[in-house]
Amino acid sequence: MLNKLKLLGQTCHPATWWLAGIGLAIIAGQSSSLLMVVSCIAVALACTMFFKTEAAWAQSIRFYLGLSAFVVLVRVVFRVIFNGGIARGDVVALEIAPLRFGLGFGTELQLFGPVSVSTLQAATLDGLRLSAIILAIAMATTLSNPRRLLKSTPAALYEVAAAVSVAINLAPQLIESLQRVRKARSLRGRNKGVGALTSIVIPALEDTMDRSLQLAASMDARGFGRRGSLTNRQAGLTRALSLFSAAGFGVGTYLLVATDSQVWAVSLLVLSGALMFSVIRITANRNVKTTFRKQSLGWFDYVVIASTGLFVLTSVAAPAIVGLVAK
Amino acid sequence: MIRITDLSFRFGSSDLLFQRVNLEIKPGEFSLICGPTGSGKSTFLRCLNGLAPHFTGGNLRGRIEIAGQDLTGAKPHDFAPHVGFVNQQPEGAFVADSVEGELVYGMEQLGFDREVMASRLAEIVERFDLRGLLQSSLTELSGGQQQRVAIASAVAGGQKILVLDEPTSALDAEVSAEIIALLRKLASDEGITILLAEHRLERALPLVDSVIVVHGDGSVTKQLPTEAIREYRLVPPVVELSRIFDLNPGCLTAQQVRERMRETPAHVESAVTQPEQFAGESALSVSDLAVTFGANKAVDSVSFELQRGQVMAIMGANGSGKTSLLWGIQASGQRNSGTATTPWGETAKLSTEESLCVLTLVPQRASDLLFLSSVSAELTDSDRFAKAPANTTASLFQRFAGRVNPSTHPRDLSAGQQLALVLAIQLAKDAGILLLDEPTRGLDYEAKRQLARIIGELREAGKAIAVATHDVEFATLIATDVLVLENGKVTQIGKPDQIFGIDGPLPSEVSKALGIRGLFAVAQLSLENKSGERS
Repeated sequence: MLNKLKLLGQTCHPATWWLAGIGLAIIAGQSSSLLMVVSCIAVALACTMFFKTEAAWAQSIRFYLGLSAFVVLVRVVFRVIFNGGIARGDVVALEIAPLRFGLGFGTELQLFGPVSVSTLQAATLDGLRLSAIILAIAMATTLSNPRRLLKSTPAALYEVAAAVSVAINLAPQLIESLQRVRKARSLRGRNKGVGALTSIVIPALEDTMDRSLQLAASMDARGFGRRGSLTNRQAGLTRALSLFSAAGFGVGTYLLVATDSQVWAVSLLVLSGALMFSVIRITANRNVKTTFRKQSLGWFDYVVIASTGLFVLTSVAAPAIVGLVAK
Repeated sequence: MIRITDLSFRFGSSDLLFQRVNLEIKPGEFSLICGPTGSGKSTFLRCLNGLAPHFTGGNLRGRIEIAGQDLTGAKPHDFAPHVGFVNQQPEGAFVADSVEGELVYGMEQLGFDREVMASRLAEIVERFDLRGLLQSSLTELSGGQQQRVAIASAVAGGQKILVLDEPTSALDAEVSAEIIALLRKLASDEGITILLAEHRLERALPLVDSVIVVHGDGSVTKQLPTEAIREYRLVPPVVELSRIFDLNPGCLTAQQVRERMRETPAHVESAVTQPEQFAGESALSVSDLAVTFGANKAVDSVSFELQRGQVMAIMGANGSGKTSLLWGIQASGQRNSGTATTPWGETAKLSTEESLCVLTLVPQRASDLLFLSSVSAELTDSDRFAKAPANTTASLFQRFAGRVNPSTHPRDLSAGQQLALVLAIQLAKDAGILLLDEPTRGLDYEAKRQLARIIGELREAGKAIAVATHDVEFATLIATDVLVLENGKVTQIGKPDQIFGIDGPLPSEVSKALGIRGLFAVAQLSLENKSGERS
């Protein structure tokens, strides 16, 4: 039974896990409750560990865990160093002697100083929120096969799709290369210190870039991106439209997660979605590409997508709408 | 099928790589592309499917016609219906995750109907012997299977031209021979035009219809195989034999040499000399070494002795455990049980610092060890790290590779020069034991001979050397002893004449050609034969 479920998760549509990951990221990014953020982290980690395969791109979760721990640490440490002091009624958590620097013109910079419990709490929540977003995306990259994802991308968005697929491939490949190069580097006896970092990162980055380019070259040589009967002008138009909508998605997501301009964010996202859809529509019947084995959505996909949608709706959209109405 | 008119190509403002090249290749012709490293073989092949200049950069002039269509300046995906392309490393070029996905990918992009795809797929599975593998993941396949899938997918869409850039460089001898035989069949039976770049000429020469030599001075010429070997500088042992014995026209296979020698017997003066050895000073003693990955016993209780002045060639097919054995000995890799003892102690117990002074390992991808932006930076950094006097590494490097512009970026060096640089760096601490993992990958004959000379020098200097390789001809140049691995177990340890000789498990080309016991390498033939005299 459990194995059957596992197989379902591993063979479902690659976009499903991306939708779930993005949904989780949105919930965590919007939430100001520690419980909610921690449960997002727990869900992301549990799904990753349960459904993860032996494939190369699935081996990067340890890296993401390290990264998210680092993010929390940095967030807290920075708040301890640059803290705004103690407001009245705050409970002091850490008593550190302040360092004061005169900046001239009578202004003064203060480092350290007493840290309040609420400051620490806020910093931890901030850090955890970021790491929840990181782990949600980590879940998506770990559980969805990047090559199958690329296959399901409409070829109408050739340039964008190729760039995105190369980018998605980049992180897991970089981690793979890092491990290999680190092993090789130990043969030169240098695995410690800051110098070791550059000496591992440079060859690994070069290797990753090479491999991404090789993949792109290979796809092109096999016929990826053929545009059939599309004229040059139509091709140019769809390219411009798809770039615009991709940019719209980026900015919209940023506005949604990081700012208060919810109305702008949502309308930008909707507009971009409509653009993307129309590009796919325009080019779909002119495209020469066919599919041998369609990756269809199964009940498992629907369950994951529906539950993600439900959670996003209840935890993010509903309060936002209530807030708007109340104004 | 392919007509090239006045083709010129250059990268940026550098010298012309090709200058006004004119070539015509007939349908069903099987051509071997050869030329020294860095002569532009790969670029030439990539011109035929648009990857050059679209992915490599550079400036192309002239005219390229494929199947009667002028495709000059077209993008790779416009070449795709006509030209299939296969790379050195199939795993990096795979675009799908299952065998089936990979096979149909090209057809999907070209817009085949689903029914057509299904019937072509069935046909291809039959022709390339891929039954039962369709749903397998590409990463589970062996190197040979991967390359077969890559070739099958390159022609699945009905492509009439197949271009392959050193497809066998990572495969062992037996599997490479299979792949090249498969190509021969594709050309003869299906009339597919094939262009193959290959380092190991001895495998391909007897089977091809023509040889295209990329000279490196801008010219590219097409010749018959028998003509090409007469002029071409870098030649396999069989061709060397036919030169030594003055056979005309030259022979391409060991069997041909054998038949000709039977017709007109030549007096073979062989000087069967074993290289002299240092008297038994043990440098490394490996005992019961085992490496296990999950349920897979990669190395299964291997024991052997290595002495100073000895070169142990560790032979075996891909996946026989050669790499795991070397890493296990070096002790930074996995080792489940067993010991590797040196006069300075057990390798697993040495600190990193000590270990570097005792033994050094050069991995398969030597370039992984290079990370600075110029050769001179690497050299001085190495001296500083090894606490060696200035120019120690530089003088080693010069001895290995000759003069190299010190401001060159290590990535712009040839594969042979990179290897020489890594060797110099690794030997700066003067470790007594040297382990080399598959060092001939990507090296041409000239570079291999260079490497053999370096290894000979190091042996004479009293180093103990173990070289993992599947290249029998290279091993005949360097080995004083041979160890044969099969499925992680030692099946044989012996002297080269026992292993590479006519009765041995891995007979060399010379053994097969001459059939004389104890004679397995060209270097053993005495000067008398080499001057071409016959008695």
